[in-house]
Amino acid sequence: MTLLSLQDLRVTIATPEGPATLLDGVSFDLAAGEQLGIVGESGCGKSMTALAVMGLLPAAARAEGHVIFEGKNLLALDEDALCQIRGRRIAMVFQEPMTALNPVKTIGDQVAEGLRWHMGLGRGEAETRAVKLLDRVGLPQPRFAPGLYPHQLSGGQRQRVVIAIALACDPAVLIADEPTTALDVTSQAEILDLLADVTAEARMALMLITHDLAVVWQNTASMLVMYAGCVVERGTTAAVFERMAHPYTRGLLAASPHALDRALPAGRRLATIPGRVPDPQHRPQGCVFAGRCSRAAPDCLPGPPAERALEDGHRVACLHPHGAELPA
Amino acid sequence: MALFLVQRLTALVITLLVASLLVFLVMEVLPGDPAAIILGVNARADTLAALRAEMGLDRPAAERYLVWLGGLVTGDLGRSYTYGVPVWELVGERIGLTLPLALMAIVLSTALAIPLGVLAAARRNKPADVGVMGFTQLGIAIPNFWFAMLLILLFAVHWQVLPAGGFAGWDAGFWPALKTLILPAVALALPQAAILARVTRSSVLETLGEDFVRTARAKGLSRRAALWRHAVRNALIPVVTIMGLQFSFLLAGTIIIENVFYLPGLGRLIFQAIAQRDLIVVKDLVILLAASVVVVNFVVDLLYAVLDPRLRGGQHVV
Amino acid sequence: MSSETQTSALREYWQRGRGQANLMIGLAVTLTLVAVALVSLVWTPYTVSAIDIPGKLQPPSADHWLGTDQFGRDVLSRIMAGAVNSIAVSLVAVGIGAGIGVPLGALAAARRGLVEEVVMRFNDFTFAFPALLSAVMITALFGPGAINAIIAIGIFNIPVFARLTRAAALSLWKRDFVLAARVAGRGRTRITIDHILPNIASLLIVQMTIQFALAILAEAGLSYLGLGTQPPNPSWGKMLNEAQTLMFIAPQLAVFPGLAIMVTVLGLNLLGDGLRDLLDPRLRRLR
Repeated sequence: MTLLSLQDLRVTIATPEGPATLLDGVSFDLAAGEQLGIVGESGCGKSMTALAVMGLLPAAARAEGHVIFEGKNLLALDEDALCQIRGRRIAMVFQEPMTALNPVKTIGDQVAEGLRWHMGLGRGEAETRAVKLLDRVGLPQPRFAPGLYPHQLSGGQRQRVVIAIALACDPAVLIADEPTTALDVTSQAEILDLLADVTAEARMALMLITHDLAVVWQNTASMLVMYAGCVVERGTTAAVFERMAHPYTRGLLAASPHALDRALPAGRRLATIPGRVPDPQHRPQGCVFAGRCSRAAPDCLPGPPAERALEDGHRVACLHPHGAELPA
Repeated sequence: MALFLVQRLTALVITLLVASLLVFLVMEVLPGDPAAIILGVNARADTLAALRAEMGLDRPAAERYLVWLGGLVTGDLGRSYTYGVPVWELVGERIGLTLPLALMAIVLSTALAIPLGVLAAARRNKPADVGVMGFTQLGIAIPNFWFAMLLILLFAVHWQVLPAGGFAGWDAGFWPALKTLILPAVALALPQAAILARVTRSSVLETLGEDFVRTARAKGLSRRAALWRHAVRNALIPVVTIMGLQFSFLLAGTIIIENVFYLPGLGRLIFQAIAQRDLIVVKDLVILLAASVVVVNFVVDLLYAVLDPRLRGGQHVV
Repeated sequence: MSSETQTSALREYWQRGRGQANLMIGLAVTLTLVAVALVSLVWTPYTVSAIDIPGKLQPPSADHWLGTDQFGRDVLSRIMAGAVNSIAVSLVAVGIGAGIGVPLGALAAARRGLVEEVVMRFNDFTFAFPALLSAVMITALFGPGAINAIIAIGIFNIPVFARLTRAAALSLWKRDFVLAARVAGRGRTRITIDHILPNIASLLIVQMTIQFALAILAEAGLSYLGLGTQPPNPSWGKMLNEAQTLMFIAPQLAVFPGLAIMVTVLGLNLLGDGLRDLLDPRLRRLR
């Protein structure tokens, strides 16, 4: 059952030099309980996608297309209606736990705030629920009293608080934007396990945004690869890793410092992808990756490549994908 | 926190000691013999010498400095040359005007500036913001004594609803006395409010860009709720610093404003004492004003701890 | 930098600055002020100090656009001449402040250690004294007059420039190109002159504009208290002081000199804001 559906989402932002395209026709579906990974380099539009779903794009940005959630187009809703959905039906966990919490409010208040705002709970009841939530995310009492301030916690502990805030109203979709990037390695694994646990327990859909292929591999069932505001490859995580049809996906893997022993051919060294991401003000007419692609051919330049289906719902937006035995 | 307090207190005492030394030295090198000023140009040499001895002016400078300093600490500020009364009495009399005036001005400017600053930030680049910013540009550009004169022209000359100057005295009753302080307080408050509103605006704008405000919005809080519950309190931390610094401008402002309105307060007293070369009064008042500025800024440091729990310390959870 | 690239940089600034209302209004007001001051040196509608008792306290008219004062002197002429006074006092005062403050701040940043400590303590210390109070003291004790007013205002500009220069210079000293110059064996003074000062020049220009506006306000305040420019030399502050006693008879006298101060300060502040937007690369990127 599709819960959230993005259809041809385009986001442009006004700059002094003219409009810049940040998302260029992003479409995907997210089902209840699904764990979807979105992977790509910084600036590829994965965070913009999350912010567009949340309705929290920067003031200068404009979104077109459809973001359908529970039958409503979020892009057409007014601010009040969006406030009813944010935090209550769709919640978000951010990248920087050090700055995502208000330094002058206690963690208990910050977790309880959403409950009081959406559920109209009283102070006492909200705090009782907040304490339970803290416990659920691995911050047990009495060591992690709700009266603590963020500066008294470590980065990993703060990220648990951020997760507790997101879980407070039992949302249907949880968006986690690089939730472990700012953490040390041990905390990373713990936080990812926690996210997997809590979402599975409540059949919550998880949208896990990361630049790290290893994180996607370990934590998601399906995935999207994004490049320069476009989805270039999608499918089940297993299928995408198996085939790695888009040259960009391969480049991303080769450049990944968290080398996946399984997927990395023996003897391959870490590589970099040559060239640079196209300027969002001057996007190429054709394939956005063509300028950096070793497989680029003249037919890549006139227009953007359409997505083509491989087996098992695996799709790639490339005219010359890896794996030569493509069906015509 | 305790260490921080001790450090700040030590710095405070040192600043005041250096200030007292500087003030004393400035008064030393000034031309003019206080005894001669009191007795006039035709005084006989022996009367002059006698008075100098009585006032202690024949003693070495270092000794006189220590005596003066000791007096400051024990509360003996000495005797005014021109008024012939203890300086404490003069100060006590006049502070009853200047302190309420300064407080009124602070309350007024804060009450005006913070809502305006927050409003401007919330409506960035909208008409409300442009209007507030225009108002603050004017407020900063208007000399406060001229603004005071315009207020007198309007409220005293044209509409005749408030007095043009003078102080009724608290004995005349609360309202009549307060009435004479309204225009001076407004004149003092306006430039401060203009600056404070600008500081508030930029501070709120900066805070609105913080990640935790986005977290609050992601919880579903409306723009307004995120602004008031999450941005404003954090934004007030730098605003309080500026308010502390403004206190010293406010004191300086009373020198001019009390002159415009003929108010017998500390500002006018210090101005007159300088003109009359009543050096002991000048010395004492300058040190008192410097002390109040330093102490106010110390209090501001303490206020930080109230606004920002990070400064209160608290154990890190291990 | 060759003169050609300089010209093209200037042209680029002009292209960008033309669209900024702040900057253009500020520039227009400031240039007008300077023009009025220059004109008044050679021509004013009436002789600045010509007394005409029968024609005193006239309201504005075709003969006297802004009316006459209690001695029958032409108010417009006196305001024009007052501009010279305001500009001269403020220019020298800000010059003193920047002339002493900038080297002090640069020295503190270059030397660190004890030198910096002394400079910064002195700075902290000046904050304990309200600048105007100290200026009142200096002018009152050393005698009223334009020169002492300049010194008094100038002294309190020193810490402003010292603080700003030190803060900006400190961050530059950590930058790669300065480190490179140090590795190449350049002396601290040489680096300060070749690399530090050119890079903070725009910051200093902006601050000077703002301090200039503050100095005009301070000079007006001191003259209003009778401690600045002495009669018969015209000064805006003094004119307001004289107008105050006549407020019930000739309220217009209290209006024009104040307007002159306000417009001047407003223009300078707008110019300062506009220059900051134009020159500050950090803000430029954000816009």
